[in-house]
Amino acid sequence: MTQGVVTPLTQALAEGKLTREDLKSLMQRSDGPALRRLALWLLVLAVTATLITLAWDSWLIWPAMLLHGVVLVHHFSLQHECVHYTAFRTRWLNDLVGQICGLIIMVPHRFFRYEHCDHHTYTQLTGKDPEQVPMPRGYGEYLLYLSALPYWKTKFTEVARHAAGRLSEAEKRFIPREEYAAVIRDARVMLAIYALIFAGMAASGWWGLVWYWIIPVFLGEPVMRFIRMTEHVGRPEVAQMSENTRTNLVSAPWRFLCWNMNYHAEHHYVASVPFHALPRLHERLRDHIHVEPGGYLGAHRDILRRIRAQSREGRE
Amino acid sequence: MSAKPASTKPASTKPASTKPASTKPWRDVIALADLEPNWVTRVQVGQRLIAVYDTPSGIHASLALCNHGGADLCDGYFDGHVIECPLHQGAFDVRDGRPVAAPATRPMRVLEVRVRDGMVQMRL
Repeated sequence: MTQGVVTPLTQALAEGKLTREDLKSLMQRSDGPALRRLALWLLVLAVTATLITLAWDSWLIWPAMLLHGVVLVHHFSLQHECVHYTAFRTRWLNDLVGQICGLIIMVPHRFFRYEHCDHHTYTQLTGKDPEQVPMPRGYGEYLLYLSALPYWKTKFTEVARHAAGRLSEAEKRFIPREEYAAVIRDARVMLAIYALIFAGMAASGWWGLVWYWIIPVFLGEPVMRFIRMTEHVGRPEVAQMSENTRTNLVSAPWRFLCWNMNYHAEHHYVASVPFHALPRLHERLRDHIHVEPGGYLGAHRDILRRIRAQSREGRE
Repeated sequence: MSAKPASTKPASTKPASTKPASTKPWRDVIALADLEPNWVTRVQVGQRLIAVYDTPSGIHASLALCNHGGADLCDGYFDGHVIECPLHQGAFDVRDGRPVAAPATRPMRVLEVRVRDGMVQMRL
């Protein structure tokens, strides 16, 4: 008989970890939870932006910008939810909010969607997963990744390459041919909007966005790199979802910021489940996935332990 | 989404496929009462997996496997007239198979459906 491809979800259903009724209930979408969270999100942004204003004439502006930046870089989490169409039930809201988030953090939405599809298909498989963060070979590589310098280098190169009308061979594997032009257009539109914003600041003489947006994003990105490492780095490079992904148990403020994406293994099991139902899915799957009770710090302790072990093996 | 049970729904009145109507005979596929109301139901007919959709405008059907990554659409999220693939959330309009969200770019194959005497029938 013609069967669908085996996915973590089909496995979970076949093994009785989830029933079809559970799945149906967990997948239900609604605009309400995301709109309420978004309202709180805007309030938090207003508070952190106000802290920058209050600290304007002192050195405290730097920690204020870092704090604001930590919130800004978490637009990635909301964009990620929109990429899966699980933030809002209304489909166009996911597209609109995802595009805005992408503009804030320089991640073109359509390109991210295609790249992310392959990340879900080939999670943690070296050479196939386009979003794989490689296991650092030493402390130097670990710190370099956390600096976000390699990330920004890749991101600027990627957007510039697309705007110049070129896609890499790896990108052509996950972007359908009929979408090449749209991906290139998106990068050009994004750069044009940035150019317009800078031209506007130059014309008006008001450079506030540099302090409220650009510097904070650069200051905050290492925190996002720290979090992104906890999802898969150091886990086995195998196809089994129960092995290759970490769920990190973190406190409520972090769960708020990351739109519950700390329940990462659950998300990979059933990507159609919206952020607000992931804690319920966690209750169903917690015994079948890898859970890091120590949260983000626990995950990094694990990564550092593995780097140490690698170094020891290298010396022996 | 309609709250009416599936058993009250008519079948779609027009063939969803743009292909010419098949001359193959109609055959019973599933009882209308066995469909999941306002949801997608998986039906196996011979070697084929078929997705049958209970929608506000009637019953529609398509091949069950996504034409992008080959996942079973019957495990996906269904809302109104849109079925979403569980693997990548590519989505299709079940009335005509039109792709409505990336990474789906090609129309999915929809099947001609009618309801007779409480049975969902298709030409297969």
